[in-house]
Amino acid sequence: MQSASVVHPEEHLLPILQRHGSDPGKLLQILIEIQHAFHCIPPEAEGLLAEKLRLPLVRVRGVVEFYSFLSRSFQGEVVIHFSDNITDQMAGNRQLAEALCAKLGVKLGETRTDGRVSVRFTSCTGMCDQGPAALVNYLPLTRLTPDRIDAIAALVEGKVPLEAWPRAFFQVDSQIRRSDVVFRNPLEPGVALRASLERGGEILEEWAEDMAPSDARRHHLERGGAETLKEIYAAELRGRGGAGFKTGIKWESVRHAKMGNRYVLCNADEGEPGTFKDRVLLTDYADMVFEGMTICGHVVGSKKGILYVRQEYWYLRDHLEGVLRWRREAGLLGEGILKTGLDFDIEIHWGAGAYICGMESAMIKSIEGRRGIPRRRWPLPVHQGYLKRPTVVNNVETFAAAAVISARGGAWFAFNGTQQSSGTKLFCVSGDCERPGLYEYPWGVTIREMLRDAGGLDAKGAQVGGPSGTLVGPEEFDRRVCFEELSSTGTLMVFGPHQDIFEAVKNFSAFFQHESCGLCTPCRVGTTLLANYVKKFEKGYGSPVDLEEVQLVAKVMKTMSHCGLGQTASLPITDSVRKFPDIWTERMQTMEFVPAFDLDGALEEARSLTGRTDAAAHLTHLEA
Amino acid sequence: MSQTFFLDGQEIPFEEGQTVLQAAMAAGRYIPHLCYRPQLEPHSSCRICTVIISGKPFSSCTQPAMKEQQVECDTAELNALRRAVIQMMFVEGNHYCPSCEESGSCRLQASAYYLGMQDSHFPHQFPLRQRDSSHPDVNMDRDRCIRCETCVRASRDLDGKNVFGILGRGLNSKISVNSPSGLLEGSDVAATDMAVALCPTGCLTVKGVGFKVPIGLRIFDQAPIDVVELLEFTKQEAVHG
Repeated sequence: MQSASVVHPEEHLLPILQRHGSDPGKLLQILIEIQHAFHCIPPEAEGLLAEKLRLPLVRVRGVVEFYSFLSRSFQGEVVIHFSDNITDQMAGNRQLAEALCAKLGVKLGETRTDGRVSVRFTSCTGMCDQGPAALVNYLPLTRLTPDRIDAIAALVEGKVPLEAWPRAFFQVDSQIRRSDVVFRNPLEPGVALRASLERGGEILEEWAEDMAPSDARRHHLERGGAETLKEIYAAELRGRGGAGFKTGIKWESVRHAKMGNRYVLCNADEGEPGTFKDRVLLTDYADMVFEGMTICGHVVGSKKGILYVRQEYWYLRDHLEGVLRWRREAGLLGEGILKTGLDFDIEIHWGAGAYICGMESAMIKSIEGRRGIPRRRWPLPVHQGYLKRPTVVNNVETFAAAAVISARGGAWFAFNGTQQSSGTKLFCVSGDCERPGLYEYPWGVTIREMLRDAGGLDAKGAQVGGPSGTLVGPEEFDRRVCFEELSSTGTLMVFGPHQDIFEAVKNFSAFFQHESCGLCTPCRVGTTLLANYVKKFEKGYGSPVDLEEVQLVAKVMKTMSHCGLGQTASLPITDSVRKFPDIWTERMQTMEFVPAFDLDGALEEARSLTGRTDAAAHLTHLEA
Repeated sequence: MSQTFFLDGQEIPFEEGQTVLQAAMAAGRYIPHLCYRPQLEPHSSCRICTVIISGKPFSSCTQPAMKEQQVECDTAELNALRRAVIQMMFVEGNHYCPSCEESGSCRLQASAYYLGMQDSHFPHQFPLRQRDSSHPDVNMDRDRCIRCETCVRASRDLDGKNVFGILGRGLNSKISVNSPSGLLEGSDVAATDMAVALCPTGCLTVKGVGFKVPIGLRIFDQAPIDVVELLEFTKQEAVHG
């Protein structure tokens, strides 16, 4: 890594640009590589990118400033991001981050003056079952302890290169605690894809010799795709990313789209705090995911798939590229797949720290190299998605399920689950339980069953489906998790008897404030108003009037926001007001309204300008 | 023969491809809005034009009109929510109407009056925002920006210039300028740009003409925003038809 001050555009930047074919659509991918090389986007780079990619300079800057892992200022030779999910917090991440800052003599969020290191917080890094976690130069650190923090401080001060740090610090475990029908018998690579292709008829020996006429190949693909789509319908597969849209309908819309150049996008942005199933799938079952994407390509008539992965999983890059390479060599990707007429390949795109990019249309913008702003509702991505072409966007787990359905049949898949939620589902269990990790259950499993298996039955509450999901208390533990009852992305964060639910609510409201994209007024302003109300209660200035105000802001956000983020961001607060009212009332020191405006705090700037640090320069002094 | 839908029970004709807002405005029914301008692609960011269709909220500036649809629009509940969103715009910025040269010509102010806003209701955020007076002809006062991106769209699509863009994220997002310094000076903005003319607030103004029209004689001093917007809409329709 070069120091930020020495940037030679010709030497350092042009090779990166050339590697990406100077494609403006690759702007984000190029910026990520520059950030990794320089730990900032140097001003020279902004100008050069604008010039070479023929983009307005302000657009390049806009992209840099949108993503949390890109920065216009130098972040230090060693950049440490502490994961700040509530599960990390319950495991003591705040204390560890403070201890590390003290040891290194650096202020949280600032780069040390010698440019050696910076320590920051970031949203959940998806290691919730093995936290407290962090990222060091974009690689995950798990199971942090005070001892490890001491060791890390010494490694940083000793200028030890990351490659020489103890491997154990970086160990990520899959922790699959319960397998059901799908993961008990994982598929061999190629089986599901071959099944899909053979639905079009036997793959004849002569095809290998390239003697079959092209229309015979086309009809074979056409027939097979139609038959596999029937299986997807028979399976009644619904999207695993949260919304639960019927996968068959989505695929059929793209299959029948009038335009060519269709795309298959796999959403591995997995930003919902508490969620890590995609990480495990991409680690242990990447073949299944890529196979599901390829089968989708077969069904909808697409030649290109893109896997969009959150940068927190950058450490999986070599592994994922390796699996893709292997699949190309094995004839499972590329041209003439399994010697049929099917051409399909997959490319990997990386995110750069933006929860909003898990939203279908924001992800498409991000893959196009733009700010990840959710676009307007119409036209739908199945009609005009990536590059305005018909596009399927599905979650990692949905593609894995599609592969299973192709191999074992729709009826086999639909045997499990409930009336409206077929099959099994992966659940990420973390927080206060004895056995955190990944659990496969048929849809319809109750919260109590999961808590019992994970060893967390004494919980006082749980967050189902992440911050945008549902907060439940013990009286709801017998509710079933499925689309018809309590829908979920597959996340269960357990709050033990000693936890203060208020801390979770505070963490989630800060999370939404940080992740709001800023496009629409209700979410942009509302997330900040809510976070500030929570802080007001924390300080003991909250009153019943404020609780009414909170409900008003929540209602405005729920009805008026542009996308799911703003529509759901108030849920942790409104759920907790209903289900855990004590956490709010016990913080009310007054029944009378107290203004939120902190006059003494507002004078801080004046104090620092005049160098006054004495007690008389504080209003509290006057009041006392 | 065009098709129709129902806006608060009133039958509204529409052509294929028209949005709910376009069809309503063409039929003389005003739906409050700030980021929508007839000359520009809809943006759906201010959210003032939200209507309820089959129990669900949609921004009417992007929602295609559909046959026999029942659309709720001018209800007490929706107008209260719209007013709250306008109040949010007031508290997130620094809007001082009495000293603003755009007072009386400002669509944010006029919309607030139209929706019966009496106070800003929510706690003021008092953000520290940079003002840009570097350009000889155009002034940018970010205190008054509501991030509707009208200037971004107008500069790109009407002026063919790309002078403006958005930096940052969330409440920290802000309007910026396409020049190495990020200032208007050094950009190719001109006082005649549609981007400047269409700014709904006093964020982008032309220098030297601020008080040419005296307060009291300005556009929204003479007619409320629904009348003005409907008139403008009809004019646009006549031009682009």
